[in-house]
Amino acid sequence: MTDSGFSVDVDQNQYLPEGGRDVSAVVTVASGADVAVAAPSGGAGSAEIIIIDCSGSMDYPPTKMTQARAATAAAIDVVRDGVGFAVVAGTSTAWPVFPADGRMAVASAATRAAAKQAVTGLRANGGTAIGQWLGLARQIFAGYYPAQLRHAILLTDGKNQHETPAQLAAELSQCEGTFSCDCRGVGTDWEVSELRTVSTTLLGTVDIIPDPAGLAADFAAMMENAMGKQVADVSLRVWTPQHATVKFVKQVAPAVEDLTGRRTQSGPQAGDYPTGAWGPGESRDYHVGVEVNPAGVGQEMLAARISLVAGAPSGAQVLGQGLVRAIWTDDEALSTKINPRVAHYTGQAELAAAIQEGLEARKQGDEETATAKLGRAVALAHQSGNEDTAKLLSKVVDVVDVESGTVRLKKKVEDADEMALDTRSTKTVRVKK
Amino acid sequence: MTARDLDDGLMHEGNTGVTCPACGGPAGAADSFCESCGTELAPPVSSTGPAGYTAQCPVCSLDESAPPSVISAEGYCESCGRKVPSGRDHVELNLELLAGVTDRGLRHPRNEDAMALATTETPAGPMAIAVVCDGVSSSPRPDEASLTGAQAAVRVLLTSIRRGDDPDEASLAGVRQAHEAMAILGSPSQAPSSTYISAIIGLDAVTVCWLGDSRAYWLATDSEARRLTRDDSLAEEMVAQGELTEAEAMASPQAHVITRWLGADVGTAQPHVTRFEPPGRGVVLVCSDGLWNYRPEAAGLAELALPAAFHDPASAADALLKFALDAGGMDNITIVLVPFPLARPAP
Repeated sequence: MTDSGFSVDVDQNQYLPEGGRDVSAVVTVASGADVAVAAPSGGAGSAEIIIIDCSGSMDYPPTKMTQARAATAAAIDVVRDGVGFAVVAGTSTAWPVFPADGRMAVASAATRAAAKQAVTGLRANGGTAIGQWLGLARQIFAGYYPAQLRHAILLTDGKNQHETPAQLAAELSQCEGTFSCDCRGVGTDWEVSELRTVSTTLLGTVDIIPDPAGLAADFAAMMENAMGKQVADVSLRVWTPQHATVKFVKQVAPAVEDLTGRRTQSGPQAGDYPTGAWGPGESRDYHVGVEVNPAGVGQEMLAARISLVAGAPSGAQVLGQGLVRAIWTDDEALSTKINPRVAHYTGQAELAAAIQEGLEARKQGDEETATAKLGRAVALAHQSGNEDTAKLLSKVVDVVDVESGTVRLKKKVEDADEMALDTRSTKTVRVKK
Repeated sequence: MTARDLDDGLMHEGNTGVTCPACGGPAGAADSFCESCGTELAPPVSSTGPAGYTAQCPVCSLDESAPPSVISAEGYCESCGRKVPSGRDHVELNLELLAGVTDRGLRHPRNEDAMALATTETPAGPMAIAVVCDGVSSSPRPDEASLTGAQAAVRVLLTSIRRGDDPDEASLAGVRQAHEAMAILGSPSQAPSSTYISAIIGLDAVTVCWLGDSRAYWLATDSEARRLTRDDSLAEEMVAQGELTEAEAMASPQAHVITRWLGADVGTAQPHVTRFEPPGRGVVLVCSDGLWNYRPEAAGLAELALPAAFHDPASAADALLKFALDAGGMDNITIVLVPFPLARPAP
């Protein structure tokens, strides 16, 4: 742990055979009990927006709307004094529920009570245009200068029907990097891939709440988690030698998130990959792959320097650093050794991909591919001890032989089970070092 | 990097018997310490090398159009990422009476060999001391073991010889000190380890003390050239028992398995000590297996080193190093040459 309260540890096999180019490492970033950066934490540094779907379908059944209001109230209760907050309602358009002037309120007993009062007036009526909702949230955040930690919670129950995918994509690219967003789908009429695109772009989580009764507890927990964040806009800065290529940068724990395409060039030989905000006591793993120009046997090269940086307009603050090395050897016992954590996360990433591809094939009616992919997923989940995912898989397929991944597709699958498997397919388990 | 660059010239000025380099006071040719200020006039030198890394990347600096390279605190080139040589990767030491070179070679990521040299004046004439240690690669921190051992030993050897001790006793005190210094670096389960060889060259005899497979040779132009040591290795044992010829043993995978070494996993060091009286003019060579792997016979090595080593041991050591690198440089290479009889070059 450094003074910043962050640690960066690299786990890899640094030995390559003669002519070897591919260097792979697992980078573990952890925050201690005290995370401190130059930016002040506490109330004024944070802002929260709760975005509630008020489309007509939220009244079918009516408990959805009732529970959504209760969940919003529960989340508001968790907002700490001094934090900027707002509530936005969305249909085919979006409007500010609280404060009604479209700005940010500063949390206090009085504003929290007023916000909860305003929320009781929410009624379901209209369509779904998620890009519109995000656009309003973006504008409210933009008008509130003190906040460095900007976070939203988005709840929907349906597909994005009242705008084109291109409109949503355009709005998302405007929002990217300006705030983070955790997304929740209630019921089973929403589109997992659609919401996942939002949560991935905005560095948040996505999950299904099949039963509206579960909303309040989940909202309160999400807000609690957001209140714990203290360091905003943390990036992995990856330096690589000349003539080297970063093949991929993926978060692999607690869930798989491919960050490869999120690179922002930060120097002639360095790029930044966003990790979002951090609170104390967190630990995340990243899998980094670099292709280097081989040097001779006996030579050593720095294949990548991974720095954890807190972004600030005035310049980045380095919170921690780890080195990925390459040493060329003609000792095969060294170069062929497989690092167990690299292997484990390679398997976990394959597991997530197999589930998503398998479910997609099932949807398309391609039972052969679906059976093969989901079977592979069953075997991988078993081998890696990912019991939660194995349990979710067993609701979609009948397992004949877990070792070989022989499965049969279930004839009848609950929508909620399939969607839960899809949304949670990226959740990984860790291995001991 | 020569000894003169590493230190402020103390070890050179001292024994020529003019003035103390520290206080400017008069000093006798045979004085170990300055009578006026107590400065050690001819301290031992070792292959620590300068602190830190080379200032330029040896790969990127080949391209003259490229901007000067920046080397990171961890020793990597900020352009190409290459680890640049550190101080110990290549060190030359020259005390005139004897000279040595140690080098990383071409296939190992660092130099785990170490050497330490010293000279002193006795009433009977000059004496030279050389210690070479080759860290055991399969042990933890072998580079630390070898340098710690060589430095500890040379200090004791020098003090002992200055005091007038018998070279055999001095040799045993030296190896004991090296063993103690290495033992405290680790534990029996985690023992930084190294081979060990010391040579004390006096007026009429050479005293060699060793464990492991670092060697000493007597190099001469006549048939007297010979190896002075017997390796503590499985290969040597098999040859001794007549199971294998030397060539077969060298080719066997166990050729480099040593049977004695120094480290925390060794209870009592069991060194060999031998005394050799040179029959005439020649050169003592002390080296690690990074050299002798490529030319194990004394006559062959003599051919490479002589006659240059008689009058310029530093250049001859460089030539032997080049030979080992050209032959493959599979291991770290350390070479110390001591022309006999000991004689300082005319001023």
